[in-house]
Amino acid sequence: MIDNLHDQARGRDIAVVGIYCDFLAQQEQSTTNILGAILKQLANRGGIPEHIRETYRKSKNEFGHRGLRLPDIVEILKETITPLQRIFVCVDALDELTPKHRRELLKSLQEIVRISPNMRILLTGRPHIDDEVMEYFSKAVRMPVSPTQDDIRSYLKMRLGVDTTPKAMDDKLRADIMRIIPEKISEM
Amino acid sequence: MLSGRQQVTGNINSFNAWTRYNNIINITAEQDAERDQILQWLSPLEPQQRHEGVRTNRLDCVGNWALETDQFRKWCDVQDGCAELVLFYYGNPGVGKTYIR
Repeated sequence: MIDNLHDQARGRDIAVVGIYCDFLAQQEQSTTNILGAILKQLANRGGIPEHIRETYRKSKNEFGHRGLRLPDIVEILKETITPLQRIFVCVDALDELTPKHRRELLKSLQEIVRISPNMRILLTGRPHIDDEVMEYFSKAVRMPVSPTQDDIRSYLKMRLGVDTTPKAMDDKLRADIMRIIPEKISEM
Repeated sequence: MLSGRQQVTGNINSFNAWTRYNNIINITAEQDAERDQILQWLSPLEPQQRHEGVRTNRLDCVGNWALETDQFRKWCDVQDGCAELVLFYYGNPGVGKTYIR
């Protein structure tokens, strides 16, 4: 999906950024770090904007070279995003953040979208965070994800191609696998 | 780098060219150091690395249905202010929200 958006954005003033949340990185994936990673991708894309450089130099001169705080980063993001024609922000596996960070992130995105309607947000997650997403974005379009029969067949074909015991396979077994598994999955 | 040095040894003019060249390198190296510091200051996370992993492992064509839905197209294309800004794809673990591999 991110690659598809990148293809569409090529040659236009459109940015695409992506974040993958991970249970195993919960400590590191704070709201500040995640929003910072969005900025980082924007800065990587078109060079570091002057206002970011200035804020960095200012903070460097302050006592203790303080790190970025959430309100700072929200402000910097707003300033960076506004001149863009459009920005797509994709956050994968939102449910894998801690509940605290998840709420903070949704709230910050809500605040940014309010002044930057050029931002589009794509979220993925398990169904149990649905209420939370709707709380911050009541008009969000909800899309259930389940693999299509074609997807399952492509997947099975790939896996059968890397079978480690090909001797145990014959045409009938192969045909049964290709027929029965997609059927069973769509019944689930 | 070494071949560059070999080429410029021999006469004074090219030696000057070499020092100038070195200065330029130093300046860009300095700017790059600040750039790296700023990127690190913005966030220690490296989501692009994870994206490379997903891109390498994902099965082509799988999940294309999601790109062809009206909702997705609208979300991408419709003018600001005329479309919903947020799409939420939900599903249980392993259904292919990130990718299928």
